[in-house]
Amino acid sequence: MSGYLNDGRTPWHLPRRWSVGFTLVVLLASVPGVAGHAPDPALTGGRWNQNQALTYSWRSGSVPDPKFQASINAAAADATASRASQAATFAYSSGSSNLIGYGTGATCSTSGIACFSRSAPTSFSMWMREQGHKFDWGSLRWCQYYSTWPDGCFDVENIMLDEFGHVEILNHHANYSGESDYLDALVQTKSHAKPQTGWNAHAFARCDVATLQVQYDMQGWGAKYSTCLDLATTLTLGANAGYVGYGGTVTLTATLKVADDPSYSRLAANPVALRYVTLESRPTGGSWTSLGTMSYGSTSGTYTKAVQLTTRREFRAVFRKPSTEGLRASTSGTVVVAIGP
Amino acid sequence: MLEPRWLRWTGPGVIALLAISLLASTTLGAGQKRWEPPDCPAGADRVGTARSPAIAIGDLRTVPWYRIDPRLDRTGALAGQRLAIGLDGDRSSQYLDLVAESFAAGPFGRVILVGTDDGAASNVAAIDVAGQCSFPIASETAVIRRATIAPDGRTIYEMRVDRATREDLGIWARPIDGSLAVRVIEPIGSDERFGRTYTTEFAWSVVGDSLAIQSCGEAACRTRLFDPTSGRIGSVAEPDLGALIGHQDGIVVTYGECPGFPCPIVATNVSTGARATLSEGSALAVLVATPDGTRLVHEQVAAAGLALRSVALDGSAVADIGAPPSGFRLNATEGAVSSATDLPSSWVLLSPDARLPGTGPLSQTLLRHVPDGVSVELEEIVR
Repeated sequence: MSGYLNDGRTPWHLPRRWSVGFTLVVLLASVPGVAGHAPDPALTGGRWNQNQALTYSWRSGSVPDPKFQASINAAAADATASRASQAATFAYSSGSSNLIGYGTGATCSTSGIACFSRSAPTSFSMWMREQGHKFDWGSLRWCQYYSTWPDGCFDVENIMLDEFGHVEILNHHANYSGESDYLDALVQTKSHAKPQTGWNAHAFARCDVATLQVQYDMQGWGAKYSTCLDLATTLTLGANAGYVGYGGTVTLTATLKVADDPSYSRLAANPVALRYVTLESRPTGGSWTSLGTMSYGSTSGTYTKAVQLTTRREFRAVFRKPSTEGLRASTSGTVVVAIGP
Repeated sequence: MLEPRWLRWTGPGVIALLAISLLASTTLGAGQKRWEPPDCPAGADRVGTARSPAIAIGDLRTVPWYRIDPRLDRTGALAGQRLAIGLDGDRSSQYLDLVAESFAAGPFGRVILVGTDDGAASNVAAIDVAGQCSFPIASETAVIRRATIAPDGRTIYEMRVDRATREDLGIWARPIDGSLAVRVIEPIGSDERFGRTYTTEFAWSVVGDSLAIQSCGEAACRTRLFDPTSGRIGSVAEPDLGALIGHQDGIVVTYGECPGFPCPIVATNVSTGARATLSEGSALAVLVATPDGTRLVHEQVAAAGLALRSVALDGSAVADIGAPPSGFRLNATEGAVSSATDLPSSWVLLSPDARLPGTGPLSQTLLRHVPDGVSVELEEIVR
């Protein structure tokens, strides 16, 4: 199934729950081309460089306990692994000036269980509140503090992945009333504690990824577009000759791209490689019939097929909307190849 | 609704109230000393809680300050809070070790308000910093989460939650003499747009004529403005608004609903709902009274670093007041940084970590004059 694989760079994985159909459409003014629910809004304050390798270290005097450090490092790895884009990567590095602190001195708002500050592309910081911090509703409990995780605890890895998402550029996802789409995004306004829906998710979800893709671009031309997007595509078709001799062969080449829409930001006019593009043919005035899948061309986003002709034929290329990514269908214009002298 | 008179103190006065360590006056480092405030002399109680009249810069040496920090055990869990207090002119600060469920607020004139909860009762006391003593104000079986003293020094307002369910019990007012408390504001209703309430904070207007009570979910906040004179309450409840920076004349200045910084700052007219965006992306911020009226002073986040700007509450008269020195941050709203002191009008405080240092000299603390951007070291003023 090579047509639906990415092109060999970092793979990304869709949770099974993403295969559920998404029928409601909410258009987000700042991010056109969305399907299902909307991609996360983007924060102000600019972007990191593509694939910028961000490091962090622990804040002196506010160093997280080792059991929390491990979960924060896991969250950093989760962010890097599930970004499905050229968003920044995160890794611990002793001496890094991007500091993550715990408890003492946190500059979060009074209601935050964790928070961040970002100044892309220069620096960031993060904080998490201490175990037992008192809120109006009661005491904050981090799951990793306990050998057996109690209900009502917050998973450090999940919460800190949310913070890494903010550092990237992601603002809180706008859920439907009732939060039926809570799993569409990990970066959420309301954190869920065990055992609420999504409390222990450890990967960016489709509407997080959608915004990361729009802001930072794809990891490769064969990589899948988030199903939280609904991007128009363009498909063009050309032939290496306008006519061939009887029984001669013509080679047709299709080019599939994301539409050149400025609102798509970094995704506009991207070549779309390693997909299924089929070639259809008909006699003049007749019905279209499929000639099968076109092969991948030598240039990203191109697809070719050689056809032997005995009569004048019309051709078109067809890209059907995939069920597993956020691209719309498109059909090329018609190309006519005649039988020549 | 009337509340039975506060419970009788059963322990040794304020010592039990503050759950202070049994160790007395143990010095733990240069200029910092563990302290047990004795009871204030009879008759001297309840004085000095009124808001100070306009403070002159030369008065700062006698102005109280506080800073409260979580105290963690070896496992990283909250074991209690350490409250450092002192006068701006005396850096031989004292500290009190409080229980985990505790708070501090102020200064209110000469005093810092301290609340503690031992799991059975909540107690609130006022520490007269200059007088080196304290007096009890309230004791309740409900959990008193926050308290504040009215600028006239006569009334304390308490925010309470139910001990068992942690449900909001509303805002209660009580004379500073500790007599009967009366609920003056009902509990805030549930609203799924905001989720459960994480924190409730008090903030007096810049001139002290109205009290904001802000109830925040994990990110978005609702703000009620209470006029103690008329009892009238106005409110702002929009889920795209976040933590309070300050308020004046019915204009509530808040962050947007942001998970972190930078974040927009918005001024909302409580009566009309009209808004003005004061900043598209800021970090720490505070409201300051100046000869030109109340202004927002805020850190402007830019790739080149932080800048300080001031702006009128209608968004006009934007002024650059100079970048803070490297490593210095604006000391913002009390609740946001868990430390505070009183400042003369037109001045803001800059320090490392955006907070007053708990110990040591004040050479790392600067005052900046908002109208002209001039800076002076606090150390020089209080020396």
